[in-house]
Amino acid sequence: MSIKTNQLEHTYNAGTPFEHQALKGITLEIPEGKVTAIIGQTGSGKSTFVQHLNALILPTSGTVDVEGFHIDPAAKLKDVKELRKKVGLVFQFPEYQLFEETIEKDIAFGPKNFGVTEEEANTLVKKVLPIVGLDQTYLERSPFDLSGGQKRRVAIAGILVLDPDVLVLDEPTAGLDPQGAKEMMDLFMDLNKKEGKTVLLVSHDMEHVKQYCDHVIVFEDGKVKKESDVQTFFEHPEWMEEIGINPPSLIRLKKMLQEKGFQIPDTILDMDALVECVKGQVKNVE
Amino acid sequence: MDPRAKIMIMLFLMIAIFIPAGIWGYVLIGLFILIALKLSKLSLSFALRSIKPMIFMMAFLLLINIFVIKTGTPWIQWGWFSVYSDAIYQTLYIVVRLMMMIIITTILTATTKPLDLTLGIEKLLHPFEKIGLPAHIIAMMISIALRFIPTLIEETQRIMNAQASRGVDLENGSMKEKVMAILALIVPLFVSAFDRADQLANAMEARGYDPQKPRTRYKVLKMTGIDYAGMLLSFLILVSCIYISVRGIS
Repeated sequence: MSIKTNQLEHTYNAGTPFEHQALKGITLEIPEGKVTAIIGQTGSGKSTFVQHLNALILPTSGTVDVEGFHIDPAAKLKDVKELRKKVGLVFQFPEYQLFEETIEKDIAFGPKNFGVTEEEANTLVKKVLPIVGLDQTYLERSPFDLSGGQKRRVAIAGILVLDPDVLVLDEPTAGLDPQGAKEMMDLFMDLNKKEGKTVLLVSHDMEHVKQYCDHVIVFEDGKVKKESDVQTFFEHPEWMEEIGINPPSLIRLKKMLQEKGFQIPDTILDMDALVECVKGQVKNVE
Repeated sequence: MDPRAKIMIMLFLMIAIFIPAGIWGYVLIGLFILIALKLSKLSLSFALRSIKPMIFMMAFLLLINIFVIKTGTPWIQWGWFSVYSDAIYQTLYIVVRLMMMIIITTILTATTKPLDLTLGIEKLLHPFEKIGLPAHIIAMMISIALRFIPTLIEETQRIMNAQASRGVDLENGSMKEKVMAILALIVPLFVSAFDRADQLANAMEARGYDPQKPRTRYKVLKMTGIDYAGMLLSFLILVSCIYISVRGIS
């Protein structure tokens, strides 16, 4: 089931001097089973948008259809828990939501809220730990003794243990070292490929978007500025310039080569193909 | 105006309000408040709105006084139940005092930035440093506390959302679930607050902050004519209130 929004608007603090319209009519569709990236500058409404997907905030006007749930401004969601179980939302810096004495208890907190028994929850925890790359010795440790990266893994495990169909990630790699970030992204890709989960990724990292995502949605000032598949998106470096984001290094390299007079078709998006293409032309020059 | 002068004026007026100087004392203070309102360009409705939250308490007060105070002349007779004049007067006194106090503090906080206010407090407490009162540290604590209120509110909202995504429901559920839900909110909030405090302390120390050392200020307070006039006037009101309450008006 894909996620659809129609003319979605959200205004914060409506009717006060601090009124601020964060979303100004978002109509889009997020394909099922794909990895979709949401990009855009700070304050463009990305975070507000993703919070609509599990009804943490309700639209001021417009509708959201997700996982068979219909959300509109007047929605009285009785089974909002069911929705939140299906749409797992991982916030920025999720390590700040840890609170239990042991990692086992913290990860089991979510399932227990959804009515799973203690024992079942503990079995689920044991299953989810290896997925985020932690072993069973961590179960009895306090989450506050861990390093930042490990804390984040535990926090993400706390969402994954709910086994959501849609995984929404708000900058999951912010503040991680490149190795940690790569492991984290590989983990999400695995969930997408093996279990067919729909992944929605809010990101500033164009390298990640290019490498991992299928679909790109660009937000600007509360509106959807561009929507396209990844291939088409990166074939148009001028789009990225338009929205003021730094293209991935490969695209920048390609542009520099083009400026030097190399003939490179826009469709080339990986290093090997680029090397092949340039190699041929260097020989020609000789 | 200088925040020091404003704080002093507030202090004088507060003491004056608590002196039982009868109706004339309150007229004097009331006049001063009206002038201050006029000068501060705040609207009367703004000041009155600040009293709004007190209405319930005032009504409650009136109710209790009607039942408890049975002196003076009975005004309303209703079967065995009667309302005495003193009950009404007493309530009126308290209500007027409360209203004036609230309006005064509202004027102060509405016209003064929190930072100026703490600077004013620091300077006023300065003389007490001789007897070991850490004026600067107190002022620094006040301004840090004020600074972090919005940050903590934002943080609370964030954690609430994150936990709601994990199935926490703050509105429904049994008592045990609710306690658990609040725990899931408070623990991370404290952790992040301590974290922040730690980082702030480090950042301040990295910039060479030492609370014991004398500091220069970007903003230098300077008293002007209106400050002295205001303080003098409010002090005169205080003195006359004392005079009236001791001697009575003749």
